[in-house]
Amino acid sequence: MVIRVTRRIVEAVVLLLAVGTIVFFLEHAVPGDPAVAILGGAAAHPTKEAVAAVTEQYGFDRPLIAQYGDFLGGLFRLDFGESYTLKQSVTSVIAGQIGPTLALTVSALVIAWLLSIASTLLTAGRPGIVGRLGSVVETVAAGLPQFWLGLVLLLVFAVQLHWFPVIGSGPLGIVLPALTLAIPLAGFLGQVTRDEFEDKQQQPFVLSARSRGLSERAIRGKYVLRHAALPGVTLSGWGLGSLVSGAVIAEVVFARQGIGQVLVTAVSAQDLPLVIGITFVVALVYVVANILTDIAYVVIDPRLRRTTGAAA
Amino acid sequence: MTRSDTARRVFHRRVTAALAAAAATVVLLAGCSAGAASATRDTGPVRGGNLVYATDREPTCLDPHNSGDMPQTYIARQYLDSLVSLQKDGSVKPWLASSWTISDDGTQYDFTLKQGVEFTDGTPFDAQAVVDNFTQILDPATQSSTDLLYLTGYFDKATAVSDHVVRITLKRPYSPLLAALSQAFFGMESPKAMARGLAANCESPVGTGPFKVAAWNHERDVELVRNDAYNSAPADAKHQGPAYLDGITWKFLKDNTTRYGALSSGEADVIFNVPPESEGLAKSDPSIELQSFVHSGAPFSLDINTKSTVFSDIRVRKAFVHASDAKEAVESAYNGVFPYEGNNVSSGTPHYDAAYHEPFPYDPAEAKRLLDEAGWTGRDADGYRTKDGETLTVKLPYNADSAETPPADVTILQDIQAMEKRVGIKVVLQALDSSSMNAVWGNPKAYDLLGNYWNSPTPHVMYIKYSKATYDVDNGQNSAFAYDDELDRLLIAGTATTDPAQQAVFYDKAQELLSSQAWTLPLYPIQTRLGISDRVGGVWIEPSEGEPVLSDAYLIDGGK
Repeated sequence: MVIRVTRRIVEAVVLLLAVGTIVFFLEHAVPGDPAVAILGGAAAHPTKEAVAAVTEQYGFDRPLIAQYGDFLGGLFRLDFGESYTLKQSVTSVIAGQIGPTLALTVSALVIAWLLSIASTLLTAGRPGIVGRLGSVVETVAAGLPQFWLGLVLLLVFAVQLHWFPVIGSGPLGIVLPALTLAIPLAGFLGQVTRDEFEDKQQQPFVLSARSRGLSERAIRGKYVLRHAALPGVTLSGWGLGSLVSGAVIAEVVFARQGIGQVLVTAVSAQDLPLVIGITFVVALVYVVANILTDIAYVVIDPRLRRTTGAAA
Repeated sequence: MTRSDTARRVFHRRVTAALAAAAATVVLLAGCSAGAASATRDTGPVRGGNLVYATDREPTCLDPHNSGDMPQTYIARQYLDSLVSLQKDGSVKPWLASSWTISDDGTQYDFTLKQGVEFTDGTPFDAQAVVDNFTQILDPATQSSTDLLYLTGYFDKATAVSDHVVRITLKRPYSPLLAALSQAFFGMESPKAMARGLAANCESPVGTGPFKVAAWNHERDVELVRNDAYNSAPADAKHQGPAYLDGITWKFLKDNTTRYGALSSGEADVIFNVPPESEGLAKSDPSIELQSFVHSGAPFSLDINTKSTVFSDIRVRKAFVHASDAKEAVESAYNGVFPYEGNNVSSGTPHYDAAYHEPFPYDPAEAKRLLDEAGWTGRDADGYRTKDGETLTVKLPYNADSAETPPADVTILQDIQAMEKRVGIKVVLQALDSSSMNAVWGNPKAYDLLGNYWNSPTPHVMYIKYSKATYDVDNGQNSAFAYDDELDRLLIAGTATTDPAQQAVFYDKAQELLSSQAWTLPLYPIQTRLGISDRVGGVWIEPSEGEPVLSDAYLIDGGK
């Protein structure tokens, strides 16, 4: 277990360095001048003198390799520098925004799991219309565009029915944005779990459980579901990462604070330190989620406990 | 001269199809739930309560001296006072300055300041504070864009003549100065607060205004609280003394549907930029009042690059405008919510002359005649005109971000493209990201047409856009790359006099001359459009930059 986690961490450091380097050079390959972006963009018509002063202040006229050196140095000190546009340290910008994003994405993941398990237990492997209906609902849910879904939920449940606030940062305010992200993911997880569930239902261990007189409910809920959940758990790590990077949609529609909105603004303003900082955080979420997935795997599947125990 | 494309307001939407479907759902539901009409009676100003104001774009810095984008001026008006307050006719009334004198040669402005005014951090407001504001604006570390565009070339120095008299000395006469200073972009800030440096000042600038910045919750809202000691309202305010409201929550709701939803559900009291597609709903809702204001300045236009090979010929420029049917394009894309404007300045501009409203009306026959005359007589396989084997092609890059180029604007561009095709002009639309657009501005090889607007409280905007001086500055602000000696003479003469009657003559001739050049294809004027709940009274829009004024606003029930 320790070796496994250590290896994961080394991999993560290499990955983060690579991500930082790629973003650094991509941002420099973009045609616009960052000094102009800092002054409000070309449409703000900054004077040549103002552009020259900013260029010097931020060292944009220095050789790219020297700028890259500074950038790497900053990374090792975990200092992402100051945002060009917001004039605050990147760390404090992210610290102010990451909480709402994590709250949103983790709630979305939990809701997605609850929905997909409910759908699986109620309909998977059932004969006739029930089974097919569950499958259809999941397919439709997985295909829903989040932007459209968010607007529909907003207009119906907030604007018309007043069940939830249109703009709310309280506990009730998280329900609709979390559902916006959760419903498509639930459809996706549900499909995977259902396939596995229906496959595992045909396995000999189910037959033997049945012969021991276990109720159908216990078989489905305890035995089969445990097997069927494994592929979904693997996908959850990826799911959490994609929720964080896709959170911007729910954040914009429901006017929530969060790093998704900041990232979109930062990219169009060529705010390199902020773009790199947020990219790092997103990459970090992927890494941590994958480690957690590994652990969850072990918890669900007792066979892995023995093998990893032996290896460690 | 505030910002052009990047400041592109506003109705930022991407969802045409999705919205249509969503709206259908709502219409069904709306049939069941009766429109809740709150029948509160407005019996005049009441003190107390917190007002929720929801706008679309969040500023990057709350100090409007930095950068200089429209969202900064709208919010800064709530906590900063300016020296003077602009009137619709272009004249000004006292504000932080109680009176002023202008020297006969028009290069020296002496402002006598109100006494007993303090910044909300306790620093006294005096002549030295005004001097310090100009020093901060001119300091490169402030990273100013808009303010410098008004000062560069004219401003020499500011000096404190006595405790409460400040003198601004100019390099040459500049009568638009007072109008420029009326904008919140030139709001006066506490010297002590400015000395903290840009980062702190961006986060919580300190003024003498009716409200104070209490907290900025990034990506969500700015909390403003009343300045109980407020004693410096402009002469044209509806009341003197502290504001009625306890505070304002200045929310950022980028999405059009959400912002309008917040107003109609009662979660917001006032919204900025009522989405054009919601205008009909808002009009039929008795609990919502609409206020709109047409900005002074240059309307949203497609500026024509006169350095490009095809558009260096005035006949081709005229043909392009004649063939575009811009009026129809604007009216169909915005359902009549936005009026068409064909003059080089908007109808809200002082000395606007309606005679130049539509200098080159839709006339495809004339367009074809002009193109024939200019030698574009051949045709290629697709039916586009050619000359010496070259196809008559013009490129029009635009920002692909829907916050910058709303879908209705894209519709206008596509309509124009289709109309130009009928006379044989090939318009190539190029959707680019924001940073690529930054590289397009100022580069005569990168575009033939460029969408642009300038909000500016003075007809001098014509000089800002088209003059030898702004051409020489070479920063993209003269986006047509065009000037004319006679036009320069007229506009400089306009700045040299403070007599409105004389200004009217110069600015009228300037509009005539400018319209005849076809350096741009004007489309529609920029507006400030507010949706106001019937729970609120006293909101008004000032004319320098269309800033909403909330110091006279009140909640009818006092927030109870």
